[in-house]
Amino acid sequence: MEIFKIAELRKTFKNGDVKEEVLKGVNLTLKEGEITALVGPSGSGKSTLLTIAAGLQPASDGNILFNGHNLTSMTSEEMRSIRAKKFGFVFQFAHLVPFLTVREQLSLMLDVSEVRMKNEKREQEIDYILDCVGLSHRKHAYPSSLSGGEKQRVAIARAVIHKPKVLFADEPTASLDTKKSKEIMSLIQDLTKTLNITTLMVTHDEDMLSFVDHVVKMSDGLVV
Amino acid sequence: MSIAWKEIKKNKMRFFILGSIIFLVSLLTFIISGLANGLSQDNAALIKDLPSGQFYINNDAEDNYNLSRIDHSVQEQVLNEHKNAAALSIQMGFLNDESDKQRSVAFVASTDSKLFESVAPGEIVLDRSLEKDGVKVGDTLTLKPFNEPLVVKDFVDQKKFSHAPVAFLKMEDYKQMYRTEEMQLLFIPGAYETLNFKELQSFSNKEFLNTIPSYSAEQMSLNMIVWFLIVISGMLFGIFFYMMNVQKIGLYGILKAIGVKTGDLFKMMWTQMLCITIISLTLSVGFSQLFKEIAPKDMPYHLTNETTLQLSIVFLVIGFIGATLSGLQIKKVEPLQAIQQGEV
Ligand SMILES: Nc1ncnc2c1ncn2[C@@H]1O[C@H](COP(=O)(O)OP(=O)(O)OP(=O)(O)O)[C@@H](O)[C@H]1O
Ligand SMILES: [Mg+2]
Repeated sequence: MEIFKIAELRKTFKNGDVKEEVLKGVNLTLKEGEITALVGPSGSGKSTLLTIAAGLQPASDGNILFNGHNLTSMTSEEMRSIRAKKFGFVFQFAHLVPFLTVREQLSLMLDVSEVRMKNEKREQEIDYILDCVGLSHRKHAYPSSLSGGEKQRVAIARAVIHKPKVLFADEPTASLDTKKSKEIMSLIQDLTKTLNITTLMVTHDEDMLSFVDHVVKMSDGLVV
Repeated sequence: MSIAWKEIKKNKMRFFILGSIIFLVSLLTFIISGLANGLSQDNAALIKDLPSGQFYINNDAEDNYNLSRIDHSVQEQVLNEHKNAAALSIQMGFLNDESDKQRSVAFVASTDSKLFESVAPGEIVLDRSLEKDGVKVGDTLTLKPFNEPLVVKDFVDQKKFSHAPVAFLKMEDYKQMYRTEEMQLLFIPGAYETLNFKELQSFSNKEFLNTIPSYSAEQMSLNMIVWFLIVISGMLFGIFFYMMNVQKIGLYGILKAIGVKTGDLFKMMWTQMLCITIISLTLSVGFSQLFKEIAPKDMPYHLTNETTLQLSIVFLVIGFIGATLSGLQIKKVEPLQAIQQGEV
């Protein structure tokens, strides 16, 4: 099933009088439960495409259909609500909240996505996801005491704990070594399969492509 | 769960510093306004403790009650119409005791009224401060320069005018000594409208206080300090939260990206501002009460609960405004900013 459909997407940045067209009519379809990787040379527009699809910046033209809703015509409050409830994010850096413990980061995400559940159930969910990312023993640790790989695993747990429909990941392994990268990729693969999450990710690393279902190549603002 | 409180717990030092600055500034504000109020009590308790109403003096007196002479017929008319009204006169002068020690006092004489002490001819009632000064009931004091002997009948609390203790005189004694037939002032408690007498000029209690020469100068400078301190504390809040927010732009961006409402980020800031302010204010209210106990006895310090409450509310409002103004930048933060800036 096609859950996410990008049609004729354009993005133009204005720098003073200079206009630069970064996306020149991109078409892309994501199938439910599958991982799609965006690859291509630096500056080809991968991050721009991903962030527009994720509702983090507006498109200049074109349509993005998610579950039948057109994201490009939504108000910013509607977009925020979709991001909170239906999307998950992982970026190159973990971007954790420095003053919250691992458990509190996950609890915050459940609050933000307005998932209503009893406290007991909530703790179970948190324990389950921490078990999945292998961090049960670090439940009460603060980000400053975690290693890079551990932080990234917390970020992944935070991105999926509210069971989003779509996971957006921009170079989630770029700050890690090859061995850790593979662990993280296989974690994303496992989690998204178990929770039936559709994934769009950007990567530079050829080694990571073995974990994905589709590879989409971008060049100069177009899918090729 | 409140992430606002968690941030305070994790960054104790930062918030402690803000809290202690607010504590010190508000304590200083409380103490100075206690002193301002104490001084004004010491200066003019006679007038300050009257119920609110209106004072009237002659138009020709040009705001100076000393030059005012109330016409007899006007006085009669007013006193007839207003049961509680009184006509009074105030004269600065001196009393000498038997050893010829001179004390400066404010002589006050009035028509019969509950608001002012009534005395028999040849007697005076004095402010309690003179008792501490060694004057006793039954002493005979001499009013200078008229050399009139007066017997001390009693002492009363908190009757001061122009920083001098008040001496209540019989009206007839006053008229005779100062060789005048007219009183200087009319006071009508509870009156708010101006009476329709062409020759009279009206003052509220507060306005009348300000005609006492030393009063307005004293109060103005102290009140200015108080307001400066309040403005400073508002700016401290503003600057502090501004700097904290600048450091947290990345964090706000990422929180917005995962879908946290901007309103919730403001609530977080307000919660922190409230926590810090309430804790600091509670402490400084406590210390300002303690100061009442330990302040030297002859230091005029008079901090009412009403003033404390008013100032506390002003501090809360100012803190709120400062934090909110500096927090407006939160609204502008784009979720992408954080992600592009790299590690938080
Ligand atoms: N906010 C912006 N303002 C102006 N130009 C921008 C902005 N964001 C991106 N660009 C430009 O758009 C182009 C594509 O950027 P993008 O970040 O999407 O590339 P990318 O494919 O993700 O590259 P990389 O692999 O290096 O991350 C670049 O030329 C970049 O300079
Ligand atoms: Mg990129």
